Amino acid sequence: MPKSHWLTNIKLETGYLKDEKGVYTTKTELFHLKIEDGKVIEKQSSGYEISKNENTVDGRGFLALPSFKEMHNHLDKTYLSLDWKACRPVKNLEERLRYEAMELEELAPTARQRASKMIELLLSKGSTHIRTHVNIDPYIGLKNLEGVREALEDYSDKLTFEIVAFPQHGLLREHVIPLMKEAMRSGASIVGGLDPAGIDRNIEKSLYEVMNLSTEFDADIDIHLHDGGHVGLYTIDKFAEMIEEAKWHNRAAVSHAFCLGEVPVPQAEEMAERLNELGMSVMSTIPITKSLPPIELLDRKGVNIYLGCDGFYDSWGPFGTGDLLEKVTRYGELYRKSDEISLAQSLKWATGGPVPLNKDGEMSWPLEGEEANLVLVDASCSAEAVARTPKREAVIFRGKVVAGQLT
Amino acid sequence: MTALWITNVRLEKGFIYENEQITGTSTEICHLKIEAGKIAEISLLAPDSNENQLDAKQKLLLPSLRDMHIHIDKTYYGGPWKACTPITNGIFTRLEEEKELLPKLLPTAQERAEKMIELYLENGHTHIRTHCNVDPVIGLKNLEATVNALKKYEDVLTYDIVAFPQHGLLRSGSVQLIRDAMKNGATLVGGVDPATVDRNIEKSLHTIFEIAAEHNKGVDIHLHDPNSLGAFTFERMADYTKEAGMAGRATISHGIALADLSGEALAEMAAILKEQEIDVTTTIPINRTTIPVPALDRYGIPVSVGHDSITDHWSPFGTGNTIQKLGTLAESFRMIDEYSLSSVLKFATGGITPLNKAGERVWPKVGDDATMMLVDATCSAEAIARRAPVESLFFKGNKVESKRTELNIINS
Repeated sequence: MPKSHWLTNIKLETGYLKDEKGVYTTKTELFHLKIEDGKVIEKQSSGYEISKNENTVDGRGFLALPSFKEMHNHLDKTYLSLDWKACRPVKNLEERLRYEAMELEELAPTARQRASKMIELLLSKGSTHIRTHVNIDPYIGLKNLEGVREALEDYSDKLTFEIVAFPQHGLLREHVIPLMKEAMRSGASIVGGLDPAGIDRNIEKSLYEVMNLSTEFDADIDIHLHDGGHVGLYTIDKFAEMIEEAKWHNRAAVSHAFCLGEVPVPQAEEMAERLNELGMSVMSTIPITKSLPPIELLDRKGVNIYLGCDGFYDSWGPFGTGDLLEKVTRYGELYRKSDEISLAQSLKWATGGPVPLNKDGEMSWPLEGEEANLVLVDASCSAEAVARTPKREAVIFRGKVVAGQLT
Repeated sequence: MTALWITNVRLEKGFIYENEQITGTSTEICHLKIEAGKIAEISLLAPDSNENQLDAKQKLLLPSLRDMHIHIDKTYYGGPWKACTPITNGIFTRLEEEKELLPKLLPTAQERAEKMIELYLENGHTHIRTHCNVDPVIGLKNLEATVNALKKYEDVLTYDIVAFPQHGLLRSGSVQLIRDAMKNGATLVGGVDPATVDRNIEKSLHTIFEIAAEHNKGVDIHLHDPNSLGAFTFERMADYTKEAGMAGRATISHGIALADLSGEALAEMAAILKEQEIDVTTTIPINRTTIPVPALDRYGIPVSVGHDSITDHWSPFGTGNTIQKLGTLAESFRMIDEYSLSSVLKFATGGITPLNKAGERVWPKVGDDATMMLVDATCSAEAIARRAPVESLFFKGNKVESKRTELNIINS
């Protein structure tokens, strides 16, 4: 790829149109984007004549969307690239964990291969950023971390990534904290945690150790919290207290957080305000079998929300597609978003923020100076893309086509 | 007619057990002789090379699919994108909209219906039960478009058309129209919420069953009313079914109230429905509690899935992919092990699965209609969980091909 080029004839949204009945549609126009050093440096309408000695790539009139962020996955666990296997029927979580432990060693040698398949899948669906959790436990030690890190490094010209050291079998078990430290020195960049009540059985100590690790390694935090109802709420409250004390603002996330959807609304609102003050994020996988954290409420209070596919095709779950856009489609269906603007604005859950038009219909993406990370689809507008989940024609990372094709 | 051999077909053979738990499905590669639309032979030996052959390339053979609840007469599918308008007065917002929308959609109704049928074929369906608006706004014109569209596809699928008084059988004074519809191609009598829409449960049900009896057809009623109101309506519907001697010919669509029943109350309701062999269709909604499909199945109530909408003025969502819908069903009820996953197929095949509970092959059998599909998966459970693409579809021995190739090219 030459140093600079024009991505021509891409459809960008330019505003909302309102008819006499107050019904909105989306206006679009064709544009050319000049890309240099992976960034958009110039945006011109399609009437603009590009000088003949410049390089061009034809966007074929496809609609451009900001590329997606997969913010919760487990690249180390997937069976992808191996033979089909359903989940074992188990009686409870304990048995599920025991079964996983039995399987870990068998799966370890293929970690890099399996993770690569998952990365390919995520990339083909439009994610150019992956946050993955990786088991750090007494059974597997750092073996999976190594494989996943190698796989991600293989793709480092196609996406950005973060690795969370995840104590799936408990942080407070013997030998795990030293392993976590080793993981943080061996490629993990975020400290993970898991159900301080349900798994570690000591909320305060579990959170304290997580905080300790994160300050020791100057790392962000992302803890899994499945604990429901008020025990979950107390855990987030206590976590927030420690975040505040450590001045770890904008550095902590709670994954799943079902509990926020299980407590009375005023309490959820109060907690949302606290999370917002501390710049904490919530990661959801849009489950249909669990209570969903109240995404709209959290959003209204300014809490950062990100989505992820979670691990799939693994010992925990046989379903999944690796498609963040489909997660947003599901979100839309769950929350009955069916009008143009609600659908269009929901796209931000897949992109981690950016949407082509803001609520007032002003163009807010792509802007000159931003990284050229785009997904091209055959759709007339974002709302259609969210409702219909069209195929990804091409995925562009820092100006370069990294999945699909444009020729 | 000469025989056709479909070679290298993957058929499920049995379950694999570990410690008395089903952990996998074994398959074998077979060759199927198709004659006069039926499976004439299933052989492990490859046929002579001079026989007429089609190589299945080891894809998995499954029974083809049925969508048991859709409205192919009013869809945006195949036309330009259109979101829904914000709802201001519940279901009545949408009914009000139809007054303007239906006449506007009419000129393209048949074309859209055909595109939707094509989408269903691509996704492995050989049976469609569509509801079709019969109302004072559009009269029988949507029915005409629906009949014309489906007639074109009679050689590749079977279908039912429900005369559907969307604006209320009594509420909109559509009784005579429904009678007329039954003489003009509709094969089932429809209805919608006798309480909330028609405001007269008895009269509404009475009229539906009366029309059905007049034409010797079954009934399929949309019942969204929740809780005890819905439950009461089911019970009265069962009574009317019994009185009319129509056991096995009545369907509850949606049956939202079934999601509000549990324990004894659900068991009692299931017994009432079972006695009259009433079946249920559901879209597996994720934005409200889904009816308890596995429990109903255990009680012997046939449950079928349907998409309801692919994209229309009621909802912008929908894919026409029933394997995906079955995946959502399985996910909703946490059916994640091999056996549960594989069993889910029956909700889209009219009850057929390749293996029975004991792991014996019950489909396909010699003598069965060669109505089936090939999917890219190693077993039913994988097909459901990982949303296997449908590779090819057969209806009574013939490979189903698109009829709209040329048209599609012109339109795109």
